[in-house]
Parts: sequence; structure tokens; C-alpha cells
Amino acid sequence: MGDSTRRGDVTRRALLGAIGLGAVGATVAAWPRLTGSDIPGRGEDRLTIAIIGTQADAEARANLVKEFERQNPGIKVRIMAIQSVDWQDFFSKILTMVAAGTPPDIVNVATEGAQLFAERLAHPIDEYVTRDKEDMREYFADVHPSLVEAFMYRGHLYQLPIDWNAANMYYNTSAWNAARLPDPAENWTQVDFRAALASMKQAASGDFVPYYWTNRLFGGVVPWLYANNTSFLKEEKAPGGEWLWDEFYGDSPARSLLSGGYLWQQPNADAPEVYESFDFLRGLVVDGLGVRPEGGGGNTLVGQFASGRVGTTPAGGYWVQGLHEAGMKPTDYDVQFFPRWATGEGSELQRHQFGTAGYAIMKTAKDKEAAWQWLKFSASLEGMKLIFSNPNTTPSRRSMVNEELFGVKGPKHWKRFYDTLDRFPATGPIPAPPQQGSVETALIKNVSLAVSGSEAQMKSALQSLQRDLELALRSNA
Amino acid sequence: MSAKSVSRSRGSSLMAYLFLAPTLAGIGIFTLIPIVGSLVLAFFRWDIISNPEFVGFQNFTEAAADPTVLVSFGNTILFVVIAVVLQLGLALLLAVLVQERLPNWLRVFFRSAFFFPLILSAASVSIFMGYLFNEQFGVVNWFLGLVGIPAVPWLTTPTGASTVIILVYVWQNFGFSFLLFLGALAGIPKEVYEAASIDGATGWRKHRNVTIPLISPTTLVASVMAIISALQMFDQPYVLTRGGPGDATRTVVMVIYETAFKRLEFGKASAIGLILMLLIMAVTALQFRLSKRYVFYQ
Repeated sequence: MGDSTRRGDVTRRALLGAIGLGAVGATVAAWPRLTGSDIPGRGEDRLTIAIIGTQADAEARANLVKEFERQNPGIKVRIMAIQSVDWQDFFSKILTMVAAGTPPDIVNVATEGAQLFAERLAHPIDEYVTRDKEDMREYFADVHPSLVEAFMYRGHLYQLPIDWNAANMYYNTSAWNAARLPDPAENWTQVDFRAALASMKQAASGDFVPYYWTNRLFGGVVPWLYANNTSFLKEEKAPGGEWLWDEFYGDSPARSLLSGGYLWQQPNADAPEVYESFDFLRGLVVDGLGVRPEGGGGNTLVGQFASGRVGTTPAGGYWVQGLHEAGMKPTDYDVQFFPRWATGEGSELQRHQFGTAGYAIMKTAKDKEAAWQWLKFSASLEGMKLIFSNPNTTPSRRSMVNEELFGVKGPKHWKRFYDTLDRFPATGPIPAPPQQGSVETALIKNVSLAVSGSEAQMKSALQSLQRDLELALRSNA
Repeated sequence: MSAKSVSRSRGSSLMAYLFLAPTLAGIGIFTLIPIVGSLVLAFFRWDIISNPEFVGFQNFTEAAADPTVLVSFGNTILFVVIAVVLQLGLALLLAVLVQERLPNWLRVFFRSAFFFPLILSAASVSIFMGYLFNEQFGVVNWFLGLVGIPAVPWLTTPTGASTVIILVYVWQNFGFSFLLFLGALAGIPKEVYEAASIDGATGWRKHRNVTIPLISPTTLVASVMAIISALQMFDQPYVLTRGGPGDATRTVVMVIYETAFKRLEFGKASAIGLILMLLIMAVTALQFRLSKRYVFYQ
């Protein structure tokens, strides 16, 4: 190598050194991004709120936060929208945050996780509700007590219901009319329902499915169990809760039914009524009137229902916006209460299933008073009007399930959404004990087998369900 | 050695360590520490929320007695055997066809086309495949209907669901083995085939006696990687069937996930994870041991 080369060229070591320095410089410059400290709200003293969802409804949420911060100048809020497949997936992600030592202050929790949070993670709100009882009176007067009871656990209240959905029966009016069926009666039975499916199947052609259902806790086998006044878990009620019921629901016709919250501590898959309901669904599958339910299915359901290939399916008020976006006119479909069982106690009760959601304050929340202010504002009429601008769920306030929200886009009988609670006081929440994750796994695993084969296979699957539930209820949480 | 060369040698070593540092830090933080953490956790009962409690080997004995865990190991081994055989067989067949029968420009096209599924997200592919294999509305049953075959309950019967999961897995993963085989085939000297032809070898015999022995080192690598990957199958059964119907498509990694995040038994999940790791190590060790007999190095 000549001298001129040494003088003019950059040596390899110098080049590597320069690259190294460059890398260090770039790292230093990008440090706020790498550590996430440039994310608005991170590192500041803000109330962190975890919700299930995407950026799809970000504008409504931003308006809610803006108004809350305007009314509560000392409190800054950071919303964390956590994208999840379902509620169970969402709870898993929250648990991961807890394990990492970075739990949010507030979490939006649905019935599926209400007792897990109440038992292990959430802080009861009894003291705040009692203290601010005059402010809260208007809220409770507008919300059905069954929704509130779903968030009561062993006498303590953990959440205020913001929205909810019942498992009602949607039916496609074109398929219904093609089969020359009269509108279903409000007190129809499972026998009427089956006859309607058979008529629709006979009148239809191609790949039409009279009854489409999915294998999950909401809208799967459970509404059929409730219709028969049973469940796959033994349902009990805890004592307590008078502090709330006497104060806010003393005059309610449902007062005598209200308790300290639901308890599901024993499996019940071996009950004769459970067998009866499963056998009914198995019969629908065997006769080609209903689909074999897929685990976690339902992704294509809105599209299939809107295209007229599905006759009936269980869903709640949350479906209205989806069907509207899929091009369905309000006259293209209607909604009816879930059928009652033709015989036994279920015949009189016509019990329905619902799921609800609301915010829970975490035990670890630094400023619980600020967190309570968020709960209160979110449950206020003003807050709920900001967040529920479309019928993609059913607001917990009766006054908001109105012509303005459901009248334009919704089916003819949209009032049945809230009537499911008002007219049927026995209507109950999704059975979700603190061990909900393993309980749901056990149910989904065995339902698909129980309804997809012979009677012997169904018996075996129900025995397996009973065993799996016993194990699940003994597990952690 | 002079002082100058010792100093230069030390400088080079330091530079080498500096270059290795980011990778070693990554492996340490994201692989080694979690492995050690999981090893420790396997001897504790921990639900994330409460403090861990030492339970000795209880997690291992509980895992061994859990019928779901046992079924999941059976399912996983069955999936691995079928999926790996299909994956390697298909990859080798297509690699031979592409290498021998296609012009160079088409070879480039197929190399990309077969590799393409691998870069897609397994979850997205599974959702898409769920639509295709839907019993009522899926395109697959629609095509079968055209030739008079009644709708197959692909995702709702044990046999149908297992078949779909294996097919989806193989479709998405064979591209990697295909590329390995294509590279190996390109590396076989033409003279060897010419010599074999002179000796009278044609068609299948040429491949059996020349191609397969000469690509055996690649076959070993491809099979080791395919088995390790298939033993960790999760996305396809989780998205397509959630492990059902019953436990028909529940794999070991699914059970680890469910045990940890649904049952909040993180210690037991770690124990199952360690058992899976030992299984992977045992199978890999067996493959390398057998390779002494079956792998031919030039």
C-alpha cells in the first residue's frame, strides 16, 4: 500500500469507528422513540384507562376524554385501546401488564371478567356510590337493576354498567316471508322455532342456513339453557347488597330478586334440563336446520345474514350498526325475544341471557378518587351520549335506547332490546365465575362434540364437560 | 509474539465482541433470561397476581396426570409426523421439478411464489383459510359441490379439522424447505449425473442414488428445522378451531397458552414448556445421531 493511499483513503477501522459513532448518535437521538417516552401521556401523572378496541371509534373516545378533562381540570387521562380477539384475550393482556408491573388504573371489563377482577384485581366502589348517592340517583333510576347486579360480587359493587346486550333472536324477513310464516309471537317456544326453521329450509334454495350460531359463552348454547331455566353451572346468589338496592331500587318490581351477586361454584352439566337443551340443538344440527358451531366462529356472520343466506341467529342491539353498514334496511330483518321452553319452569319464566360492560378501578390505581370521577362521568347521560353515537351496542341507560339511536337504522321491534330486561325479570348474565377462562375453554371444547354427533357422543361430551368444569372451578383465580 | 501484535490482537478481539454485543444482548434478554425464568417458574405456583409459592415437582406431576396435556402431546406428535413428511416431500418434489424442468426466469418466479406464504402472518392466513373451509359458505365446499361431492364439515369434525390444520400448516411452511432443497440441488455437479447416466442410471434411480445422497446434509437441516417448528404449532389450531372439536386439534403450545393465561397456572405452563423443550432437544439429538448413518458429506 503506497503513502498516497494511506493519506487519501479512510482506513477500515476509521470507517467502522465512524459507523459506530453514527449508530450511537442515532440511538441517542431516537431515545424518546425507543423508550416510548414521546407517547402522549407516558411518564406523566395521568389516569391510565385500558379498553378493548381499535382506533375505529377513536373520535368518540377523544371527545369523551376532552370533555372529562374540561370538567375535571386536575385530572389528565390516557386511553389505551388494546386490540384483542375477544374479552378473554383482552383480560390476558391486562394480566400481562399486571405481571410486568405496569397495570392500568382503570379497565373496561365485561361480564366475562367481572368476577375475576372483583376477586383479584378491582377495588369496590361502594364507598363512592354511597358518598355521591344524590348524584347517582338519576343513573340508577335509568338503569335496570339486573345489569347492576351483574357487577355485584359478594355484596360489593365493582363497576357501573355502561352498555350491555341481550341474546335476542334476529330473523331475516325475506327468508321468513318466503316460507309464508307469520311474525313470531313474543312468547314463542322452541317447538315453534324449530317448525319455523323447517319451513324456511323447505322454502329456500342453495346454501341457505336456517339457524346459525357460534360456540362461545354469549349467544351459543347458554341462551338455550337459560330458556329451559338451567345452566351448565349451578347458579346461586350471595347475600348482601341491601345498601345499594334499598337506597336506589327500593321501589323496583325486581327488588325481591336482587342479591349480593351471582355465584357459580359447582358444575351442572349432568342436569336433565341441560341434556334436554343440548339434545334440542343436536337435533337442529342433525336435521340440517342449524350449523355445527365452530370455535370462535362468526367472523362472516354479518355478511352472510345481510346476504340472506342465514335465516335466524342470536344477537343483541350491537348488531344493528353492522347490518346497516352491510346494506340491510330496517325492514330486511327483525328481532324477537329468544324462544321460551315449551315445558317446565322455563315455560313460565322465558329467561334470557345478557352480557354487560363497565369500568373497574384497579386496586393498584394511584388516585382512586380521580378514577371514580371517570367512572361517574362515563356513566352520566352526557358521557354516554358522547360515546354512543351509533347503535353498535345497547346503552345501559333505558332512556338512551330510543328512537334517535335505534329508530332509523334498527329493526321494527328495536324496543325489544331493553324490554328483554324490563319484561323478563329472571333474565340473567353470562355465567362467568372468577375461573371464566378455563370454564369457557371447557364449554367450547365440549359443545362442539356434543351437538355434532350421535346421542351417545353427546352423553359422553356432557360427562366430559362436567369433569372439565369440576377441574376448572378448582383452578386458580 | 511482539507487543504490537498482542495489542492488535486484543484490539481485534474487542472489536469482535463489540460487533457481537447487540446480538448477544438480544439473545440474553429475549431468550436466555426467559428460559432461566421459565425453568425457575416451573417449580412454583404463580397466578401473576399473588406471590409465587415453591411447590417442588408438583407442576410436573400435575402436567403428567392432566388428560388434556397428554392428548395435546399425542396430537402434536401426530401433526409433526404428517406435516413434516408432507412438507419435506412436497418441497423436494417441487424443487426437483423446478430445478430440472423449468427455464431460469420461471425458476426465479416459483422460488418467490413458493416462499411467499411464509412471509404472511400465520394468524391472517388461518382466518382466510377459515373462510375457505367453512362448511356452509366456503369456496372449497362450493367447488366440491360442483362435482357432486356433499359439503364436508372441515372444521367441525375431528378428522376434518386435523386435515385442514395440517394442510394450512404445510402450505404455509413448505416454501422454506423448498428453497433449501433448490439450493442443494443447484450445488450438485453436472458431472455426477453424467457419470451416473454413463453407468446406466435414469429417472428415479438417478435421483435415488445420486440426488438424495448428495442433498442429505440439506435434508438433515431441513428436517431438524421443520420438526422444531411443527412441534411449536399454535396459530393454525388456535385461530381455525380453538383446539376443537373436543381436544382433537389442541397442541402442546395451545395448552401452555391456555394453562398460563386462561387458568392462570403459570408454573404448570412453564413445566409443560420445559417438557416440550426437552422433547425438542431429544428429537433433534436423535436426528443428529441418526445422521451419522444416513447423511453423506462430500
